[in-house]
Amino acid sequence: MAATLDTRVTRYEAPSKVTGGTRYAADYMPSGMLHGALATSSIAVGEVVSIDTSTAESEPGVIAVFTHENIADYKQPKGFYQGGPGTASFWPMTSTSIRYAGQPVAYVVAENAAAARRGAALVSVKYETGDASIHMDPESSFLLESEGMNVTKGDVAAGIAQATAVVDETWTTPFQHHNPMEMFAATAEWNGERLTVWTPSQSVRTARGGVAMAYDIAETAVEIISPFVGGAFGSKAGLPPYTMLTIAVAKSLGAPVRLIVTRPQMFTVASFRPESVQKIRLAATADGQFTAFEHIEIGQTSQFDPVVNPGTHMTRAMYASPNIYTEQRLARSDTNTPGFMRAPNEMQSFFALESAVDELAWKLDMDPVELRRKNDTQRHPVADVPFSSRSLMECYDAAAASFGWSERESKVGSMVDGDWLVGYGCATATYPTAVAPSEARVRVQSSGHALVELAAHDVGTGAYTIMGQIAAQRLGLPVGAVDVAMGNSNLPVAPLAGGSVTSASSGSAVHLACMNAGADIARTLTQMDGNPLSGLDHSTVTLVDGVLQGPGNESISLLEALKLTPRGEVTAEGRYAHPDLSSQALRATYKGGYGVAGPVTDKHAMFAFGAEFAEVHIHRWTKEIRVPRLHGAFAAGNILNRKTAHSQLMGGMVWGIGSALHEHTLVDTERARFLNSNIAEYLIPVNADIRDIKVEMLDEHDDYVNPLGVKGIGELGIVGTAAAIANGIYHATGQRLRSLPFTIADMV
Amino acid sequence: MKNFSYIQPTTLDDALRATDTSEQFDILAGGTTMVDLLKLDAIAPERIIDISRIASLEGYTFDDENLRFGALARMSDVGDDKTLAQICPALTESLWKAASSQLRHAARLGGNILQRTRCPYFRETHYACNKRNPGSGCAALDGGDTGLHAILGGSEQCVAMYPGDWAQALIAFDAVVTVVSSKGTRLIEFADLHVPPGDTPDIETTLKEGEIVTQISVPVSAAMKGSHYLKARERESYAFASASAAVGVLEDGGVITEARIALGGVASIPWRAREAEEYLEGVRLDEASAFETGRIAFSEANPLEGSAYKIKLGASVVAGALLTAQKRARQEG
Ligand SMILES: Cc1cc2nc3c(=O)[nH]c(=O)nc-3n(C[C@H](O)[C@H](O)[C@H](O)COP(=O)(O)OP(=O)(O)OC[C@H]3O[C@@H](n4cnc5c(N)ncnc54)[C@H](O)[C@@H]3O)c2cc1C
Ligand code: SF4
Repeated sequence: MAATLDTRVTRYEAPSKVTGGTRYAADYMPSGMLHGALATSSIAVGEVVSIDTSTAESEPGVIAVFTHENIADYKQPKGFYQGGPGTASFWPMTSTSIRYAGQPVAYVVAENAAAARRGAALVSVKYETGDASIHMDPESSFLLESEGMNVTKGDVAAGIAQATAVVDETWTTPFQHHNPMEMFAATAEWNGERLTVWTPSQSVRTARGGVAMAYDIAETAVEIISPFVGGAFGSKAGLPPYTMLTIAVAKSLGAPVRLIVTRPQMFTVASFRPESVQKIRLAATADGQFTAFEHIEIGQTSQFDPVVNPGTHMTRAMYASPNIYTEQRLARSDTNTPGFMRAPNEMQSFFALESAVDELAWKLDMDPVELRRKNDTQRHPVADVPFSSRSLMECYDAAAASFGWSERESKVGSMVDGDWLVGYGCATATYPTAVAPSEARVRVQSSGHALVELAAHDVGTGAYTIMGQIAAQRLGLPVGAVDVAMGNSNLPVAPLAGGSVTSASSGSAVHLACMNAGADIARTLTQMDGNPLSGLDHSTVTLVDGVLQGPGNESISLLEALKLTPRGEVTAEGRYAHPDLSSQALRATYKGGYGVAGPVTDKHAMFAFGAEFAEVHIHRWTKEIRVPRLHGAFAAGNILNRKTAHSQLMGGMVWGIGSALHEHTLVDTERARFLNSNIAEYLIPVNADIRDIKVEMLDEHDDYVNPLGVKGIGELGIVGTAAAIANGIYHATGQRLRSLPFTIADMV
Repeated sequence: MKNFSYIQPTTLDDALRATDTSEQFDILAGGTTMVDLLKLDAIAPERIIDISRIASLEGYTFDDENLRFGALARMSDVGDDKTLAQICPALTESLWKAASSQLRHAARLGGNILQRTRCPYFRETHYACNKRNPGSGCAALDGGDTGLHAILGGSEQCVAMYPGDWAQALIAFDAVVTVVSSKGTRLIEFADLHVPPGDTPDIETTLKEGEIVTQISVPVSAAMKGSHYLKARERESYAFASASAAVGVLEDGGVITEARIALGGVASIPWRAREAEEYLEGVRLDEASAFETGRIAFSEANPLEGSAYKIKLGASVVAGALLTAQKRARQEG
C-alpha cells in the first residue's frame, strides 16, 4: 500500500540555490588547477590537414595546446547505441576526421580561463573540406529493424476503406537544444592511478564505468562527483567527449584541469533533439470509431550512430483501433549524434498524433474531447495487455471543467477579443512509466538522525527532498532529520536520471532500505528480553511510520528500539527491481547502462496520462501568437510531493509553449552549422509569455508500477502542449500548422 | 576576448583626451552590445574608453521646443518616464518594448542608437562577413540564412538589418544628434547618422574618428500626441522586432495633414517611409487607406528568402500602428 506523505514539502536546498550558496560541480577547484578551453572546427565534414598551435602556445598564460597529434591515447568507449557509455561513438581529436561543425579540434590549457580561451581562438587549422548536409534527407531514410520496433495489426488499408473520414498528413519538428542554465563542465584530477572527476551528470555510474574502461583501471579507482545539476533535460547523460578530453589532458600534464564549455560550444559538443518527420493516417467511421491508425516516424541521426527515439511506441499505445501499423525510420545528417531531450519520443510524435485527432474531429464535426472518449481504451491496443491504470478521460473531464471548454464556440474564427482572434485547443499527454533497478543504503541512529545514500541524481527536480521524505515517513522522523547523499559514483547503484525513472525506481529502493532497517532491528529485539517485541517471530513484525508493530498490537518506536540495541544504530540496504525486469536490463543497469522494466511488459502497460487545454490568441495586426491560458490535468499514480510535482508539470507545460512557439535551432545549410547558438537568439518563453497556467493532479492508485505506486512526471507536462496550441490556432484562424515552431511568418 | 587597455574617464574632456591615441579604440557605454561582441571576438579594439562614469552625459530634460536626452541616460529611465509618455508615446513605447528590463537598466541611449546588427554571421568569426572583415564576402548572401536580414536598404555586399527600436521613433520625429570631438561640437540630423551598407558595409555611421555622441534631441511637434510604436515580436518581451512601425499623425477636418512613418526590423538602417507619408497626407485614414499606406511603405522592398514575409507583415503593422495613432490624435487633452 502506497503510504501518504506530507506532500507539499519545499526542496531543502531551495534557499541555498536562490542565494547562490549551492556549490555545483564546476565550483570545486582542486589546488593547482589549470584551465582548459576548446577550439572547435569551422567546417562540418572533412579532414584536418594541419594545425598551427604556435601562436596559441606563445599567448601569455597558455601552458599547453593539445590536438589529435599529441593528446594521450585512451581506449575509446563504445557509444550508447553500441551498448556503451559514450554520448556518441565518435570521439573527436582521436583522428584527423571532422564529422560535424563545432567538433573539438584542439584543447588549450592555461593558467586562467581567459588565457585558455584566447589561446583557443588563436589555434589555426587547415582543413580539406567535404560536402555536408546538416538536415536529414527523409527521402533517404532507412527502416529500423529490431524486435517490437515496428508493428502491424490488422489491415490499415482495409480500415481506411471502411472509414467515413481520413486524415493523411505529415508533420515536422525542428532541431532543438536543451540549453540548461548550468554550462557543461568537467574537472579532472589524477592521483596516481586514481581519478576524481567533478562534472554535472545525469549518470555518474555510466561515466565511471566508461572512464575506468578507457584507462583500464578499476571502477572503484574512479570517482565521479556531481552534487547538483543546474538543469540537464537529457544533455548531461552518458559520457561526453569534453569529459574524456579533460581527463586525458589532466593526465598528460599531471595537474588537475577544469573545462567549462562555452554556450555556443554547448550546441555542438553534446546532443540535441533531432529533427523529425511524422506521417500519420488516421481513419474513423461517421460516429467517430477509429478504423485505422498508421504512423511512420523518420528521426534524424548522425552518420555514426543510430539514435532511436521511438515515438510510434507511444502513439500506438494511445487509442483503440482494429488496424494499426507503425514504423520507425532514421535518416542521417552531418551532425553530432542527437540524443534525448525532455520527452524525446513523445514531444514530436504527440504533436503529430494529437493534431491528427483534432483534424479528424473537425472532419467528423465532433467535439475533439468526445472523439477521444470514443476511442479510449483500458487495454494496450497492440500488446493487448491491460493498462496498470489509465485515467485519461478523468483528466479530460477535470481539465475541460477548469478551462471552461463548454464555452467554446464550435465554429472556426468565431471568437474574438479586441484585436485578438481567439481559439481553444486540447490534446492528450502521456508518458511511459518505466522503472529501473536501484539500490539505496540507509543508516538510522538512535539520536533520531538518518542518512540515505545512493548514486541517483538531482537534476533540479527535487529528488534529494523526495528521497528524504520517503525515508522520513518510513522511519517516523521529521524530514529535516534525514540527510541524503547522491550524485557520487561511489554510492550504491542507481539508474541514470532519464526517462523520469528516479522517484519510482530509487524511491522504491529507499523504501526497501528503510523496511529492511526495520526488519533488522525487529530481528534483534525479538531475540532480546525485556521489550515489547521479545520472543515474537521477527517476520511478523512490520515497520509502519517509524513504529515496529507485532501481530498482536505489540509496538515500539524505531528510535526507542535502536536505543535498546548495543550499537544504537542500524544500516541497511534496499535493492529494488521490478518483477518484470529482464535479467539483461538488470545487468545493463549494474554496468552503468540503462535497463528498465516497462512501459509494456507481458502483463501490463504502464503509462501516465494527462489532458491539456490551450487558449490561443493571434493578433490581427502583428500576427503574434500568444497563449494566455494553458490548463492541464494529469493522472500519474501516487504524487510523492505535490509541490515539486507541480513544478515539474508546470515546467513541462511552459517548455511545451516554447516548443510550439519559440524553440528552433536555426541552421546555415550551406555550411552545415547552427546559427543561433546563444540564449539571446535561441528563443524560449520569457515570463511575460506565461500567464495563466493551471496544473491539476488527479488521485490515481496503481499498485502494479512499483511499491510506491509512482509514475514518472518529469516529462509528462510537455507532451501534447504543441498540439493543443496548433489545434487552438486552427480554431481561431482556420489555419493548420503542421511544422514546429509556429511563428509570425506562418500567420502572415 | 583579446586583451585591451581600459580607460574610465569621469569627464568628457578626459574622454576626449583618451581618444588622442594611436591605439585603435572603441567607446563603451552600457556595454550590452559591446561586451557580447568582444567575447565573440567579432571586435577586438586595442583600447576601450568606458564613458559610463561621465555624469554630465546622464539625464534628460523637456521644454516646449525640445526633448533632450543625454547620451548616458538609461533606456529604462526614459522608457518609464510618464511625462514623455504623455508628450510622445512612440518615444517611450519604442524603449520599453526593446530588449528586457535588465538590459534596459544597463543600456544607455547613445549606445542604443549605435547598437550593431544581430546578423549571426557578423557575430561569429568562422564566417565570411564584409562588415566585420571587409572584402571577405557575405555568408548571408552566399547561400546563408537570410531570415533575419533587411528587405530595405541592403546592398550586394551586405543585407544586415538594423535591429533597434528607439531609432525608429527618433527618425520619425526628426531627431538631431550632438557629437563632440577634440576638434569641437557638431550636430547631425538623426536621419544622416546611419549609412546604408553600399560597397562599404564596415562603415555604419557618419561619425568621425574620435567623435562621441553627447546628446540626442527631438523637436516637439504636433503629431507627437497621435503617435504609436507597434512592434511584432516572437515573444512578449526580450525579442527584436520581426517588423515594427513608429508613426505619428495629425488630422484636420477628417483628413491627415501630417504623417510620420518609420519602419523597424526590416531595413539596413533606421528607415523613414517618406513615400507612404506623402500618400497618406490629405487622405482620410481608415482601414483601407491604412493598408494602402503600409503597402506603399514596402513597395521597394527586396524580398530575401526567409524574410519575404516581412513585406506583408510590415504593411499590416504600419496599418495597425496608424489606426491606434489616429485614436490617440483624436483624444481630448
Ligand atoms: C539579448 C538582447 C536583446 C536585445 N533586444 C533589443 C530590442 O528588442 N530592441 C532594441 O532596440 N535593442 C535590443 N537590444 C540591444 C540593446 O538595446 C543595446 O545593446 C543597447 O541599447 C546598447 O546600449 P549600451 O549602452 O549597452 O551600448 P554599448 O554596448 O556600450 O555600445 C554600443 C555601441 O555604441 C557605441 N557607443 C556607445 N555610446 C556611445 C557614445 N556616446 N558615442 C559614440 N559611440 C557610442 C559603442 O562604441 C558601441 O559600438 C538587445 C540586446 C541584447 C543583448
Ligand atoms: S549581411 Fe552584412 S553583416 Fe551579415 S554576413 Fe553579410 S556582410 Fe556580414
